[in-house]
Amino acid sequence: MGSGQVALEPAEPILDAPDQVRSSYRFSDPALSELRIDELLDELLIRIQEALGVDTAAILLLDAEAQQLVARAAKGIEEEVERGVRIPIGRGFAGRIAAERVAIFIADVDHADILNPILREKGIRSLLGLPLIVEGQVIGVLHVGSLRARTFGPNDLAVLQLAAARAGPAIERAQLTARLEHEHNVSTALQRSLLPKRFGAVVGVTVAARYLPAREEVGGDWYDVIELPRGRVGLVIGDVVGHGVAAASLMGRLRTALHAYAIESHGPGRTLELVDRFVQSLNEPAMATAAYAVFDTYSLTVQYATAGHLPPVVISPSGARVIDLTPAPPLGAFPYGRCPEHEFSLDREDVLFLYTDGLVERRGIPLTDGIEALVTAVRGAGSPEEACVAAVADLVPLTGLRDDVAIVALQNSPIPAELKLRLPAEPRTLAHVRRTIRRWLVERGGGATEVAEVTIAVSEACANAIEHAYPPAPATFELRASCEYDEVTITVRDTGQWRPPRGENRGRGLSIMSTAMDHVQVDRFDEGTEVVLRRRLSHR
Amino acid sequence: MTLGDLHITHAPGAVVAHLVGEIDMSNAEDLGAAVIGATPNEVRGVVLDLSHVDYLDSAGIWIIHGMRASLLARGQRLVLVIPPRSPVYDTLRLSGAERPGEVVEELDAALRAFEPEPSGDS
Repeated sequence: MGSGQVALEPAEPILDAPDQVRSSYRFSDPALSELRIDELLDELLIRIQEALGVDTAAILLLDAEAQQLVARAAKGIEEEVERGVRIPIGRGFAGRIAAERVAIFIADVDHADILNPILREKGIRSLLGLPLIVEGQVIGVLHVGSLRARTFGPNDLAVLQLAAARAGPAIERAQLTARLEHEHNVSTALQRSLLPKRFGAVVGVTVAARYLPAREEVGGDWYDVIELPRGRVGLVIGDVVGHGVAAASLMGRLRTALHAYAIESHGPGRTLELVDRFVQSLNEPAMATAAYAVFDTYSLTVQYATAGHLPPVVISPSGARVIDLTPAPPLGAFPYGRCPEHEFSLDREDVLFLYTDGLVERRGIPLTDGIEALVTAVRGAGSPEEACVAAVADLVPLTGLRDDVAIVALQNSPIPAELKLRLPAEPRTLAHVRRTIRRWLVERGGGATEVAEVTIAVSEACANAIEHAYPPAPATFELRASCEYDEVTITVRDTGQWRPPRGENRGRGLSIMSTAMDHVQVDRFDEGTEVVLRRRLSHR
Repeated sequence: MTLGDLHITHAPGAVVAHLVGEIDMSNAEDLGAAVIGATPNEVRGVVLDLSHVDYLDSAGIWIIHGMRASLLARGQRLVLVIPPRSPVYDTLRLSGAERPGEVVEELDAALRAFEPEPSGDS
């Protein structure tokens, strides 16, 4: 350690009275409370410069993890902050102040002892610094410097102590707020990133969803929409017990687990049982409620299972009602829990509305009243989107939510009696065509065999259109379907050139169409090819 | 949603390719290539299990013929599992296709087809 470096005892109160009052006021000015932390620190440093007549003043804050001091605010040596100067604890002037928790005065700086290059470049001669201590913990260092040799005495130290007393708690508070804000932002972002943003278009259903975070803290609510084979679609709602990043993270895992079991085509009851086993296997206290509904767009029924979740609401054109079901215990509640399945029908235009308790639970109001208020709010909603809007408008307080809310709603949306679709001429369009035609035929009263046969014929006709339409032809084709006196007519028209079937097997598409339909007609025009398929439905 | 999928298991003398879901011109070629790619030269052939296929169209039939030709070129057999009244059965019926190879109704029967013949002196 260089010469002339003196550790100072805390200053005696030897300021004379007017000085002390003036200095106290300088640093306890109520106007300072209005400032944000950066402005407050700047203002304090300016006032310190004025009070002590020093050339530089700086605040460095402790980065506890790195065990370093980081320049946070500076006057006269602004570069210190800009360059993000870091000083290891225990080394150099500021590092020793923090390590030894003492004020240090250096009358004549021995540059070998100064780690901070900026202090050297500036040619600082004398330095005085002290630790910022809040509740017994060093949170940083405040120091002042003079370009000419100067003795800092107990009065100077006393003034600096007053400034430190003002700065310390303000910094602590600001850091706490920043940490909380950071946690809130992280968990909200996490929550949002874990929820699906778009739903694939499922023929014959319309879907809408909402996630509303709580005023204070993020929670573990989630929803999901899962397209399943054979014209079915899964709808999930869930609520992890707890709040914050931990709940959001568990939610993400449960949503993924449920989705993964669901696409394995387990029914809703078995799916929830498997998610329950998954929760049981986590070596952490974890509990959640969830409901999983599978809507079959051919039978127009819902298979439903619930693990401790609130009952679903079904909105019909004639009104809205709660579907009363006995729930199984929550996920993670009991070993080897069983989750029975329920079935109910979802008629044309009915909306299945799933929600979490944050939507209906209000302090001092019975839960049943909250659910009744929901039923009243969504009555008359003609679509899932309208139902979400009505529920949020009527039930979410203007002051914000105490608990987060997830909503997901699905409508059995009939498709028009006459179809006229322009579709991209791409192979993956075929699956969409089949779902649309199947659903359309089911709604026309087609029997299982004729639905299957007409569907394959239409898919073959569209496959031809897609093959013809390869460049340079425009990459779309048209599909029309109508039904008159039980006879369905489906027309596929492309703008490409009809190509005769190539090879023995390529011709099979045409033979499938001919066998499956009563009548097949292929017309070639200059501008394209039209295939007309007809079949009388026998409803078998 | 994945339209169609494939998983491969192994039986004595054969690779068993289980196709599930829907097979059309968007995925038939890739699925067919995946089956051939999963078939080593040592096995005597492939059991193509179509029992759990929900939909198959002419592109699928075309690929089955292609697979049979590829396997035949390597001296390997293709045995198809097509239960009566399954979606694949219906497609074949509509297409008027003669059986696109050796067809059995159940997986077990297909596996038996690859079991070594009992030797004469046992």
